[in-house]
Amino acid sequence: MSHGNKLTPLAAAQPGMVLSDALLDGQGQVLLAQGTVLTEGVLASLGRHGVEMLPIGAASAAPADPEQIQKRLDHLFRHNERDDDEDWATGILRRYIEDYRLGRGATP
Amino acid sequence: MSELNSEDLAAGLNDLPSLPAVVMELLGSIDQQDIDVSVLAKKLSHDQALTAKTLRLANSSLYGLQVKVTTIQQAITFLGFQTTRNLIIAVAVTGCFPSGRCPAFDDKAFWRHSIATAACARVLARRMRFNQDYAFTAGLLHDIGRLVLVSTQPERYQEALALRAERDCELLDAERAVLGVDHVETGVALAEHWNFSDTMRQAIACHHAPETQGAGFLAGIVHAANAIAHALDLACDEDELVPAVSAAVWTALGLSEESYLHAFHETELQFEEMSAILMA
Repeated sequence: MSHGNKLTPLAAAQPGMVLSDALLDGQGQVLLAQGTVLTEGVLASLGRHGVEMLPIGAASAAPADPEQIQKRLDHLFRHNERDDDEDWATGILRRYIEDYRLGRGATP
Repeated sequence: MSELNSEDLAAGLNDLPSLPAVVMELLGSIDQQDIDVSVLAKKLSHDQALTAKTLRLANSSLYGLQVKVTTIQQAITFLGFQTTRNLIIAVAVTGCFPSGRCPAFDDKAFWRHSIATAACARVLARRMRFNQDYAFTAGLLHDIGRLVLVSTQPERYQEALALRAERDCELLDAERAVLGVDHVETGVALAEHWNFSDTMRQAIACHHAPETQGAGFLAGIVHAANAIAHALDLACDEDELVPAVSAAVWTALGLSEESYLHAFHETELQFEEMSAILMA
């Protein structure tokens, strides 16, 4: 909900974008599940089926910039000093969140 | 500047909107198992908005039911009494405070943070084999004192928020400086007023100080869930700040990085689903 399931015209959809909601046909049947990653093939096929709008959340519409992510994380953790041994638990949480957001380490 | 004393606080609590009587009953009985479920289901059926949202939550993918429940009685049959009770409390509490009295206080962001903390507390509790329903409710209500302060002292709370932004300090310190009380004390006062169980009261009282003697494990779970919820940045608050994590709690949880990364992901998924229903 915070990202909003706004509809994006098919022409503006790019490979790599992710469906924020299931794509349904006129009968309410699921064509593509929520979370489907769009590929060129899928987009071409949707065009052939007359699909005009796709549910793509605002968040996934713009590919995330790692520098921006890091900047935001540094802001969130602005009270934590990286080499503060007293505050090591916050430091570990910070590292895990960075790994999570920047796609490092084990991906769930 | 005059500080709030306990009498002011008590007077403020009396001015708060009251929860439906049946919800008060549920809050007071959170530790009890022997409740007449059919009486409860009947009482609740008079409150259609509450029932409808509770059933939407019960039917969400969070609980993985194979059948669609259409009555509170059915929800209790399939999910159990404890879980259903916690869903009802969540729906009632999120809908009970008026919004918009204090321009600087973003009540949407408040609830997003509370729901994110509830989701994360539930995820952590499952990993720790701790009661997930307690963790969920304690996570949802951990900052409830903020709503009391903002509802009863909107102008002063505005000042506290301005001071927090100016000094970029912890909210607790800004509240104490301006109001003389903080949201933890106020939350505990509300917990008493609303007859929360001791476990729940303790978790609210100690979520910023989980190392306090007798704080209990639930306070530790809520403490960690609160920090993770801030760190996951789900509240959409420009000024979001991750509080210091207690080393004792982190050690007690003892989870691997892989567990945490999974927990982050699960928290985000559950958050999306819960907030869509609770904030509708």
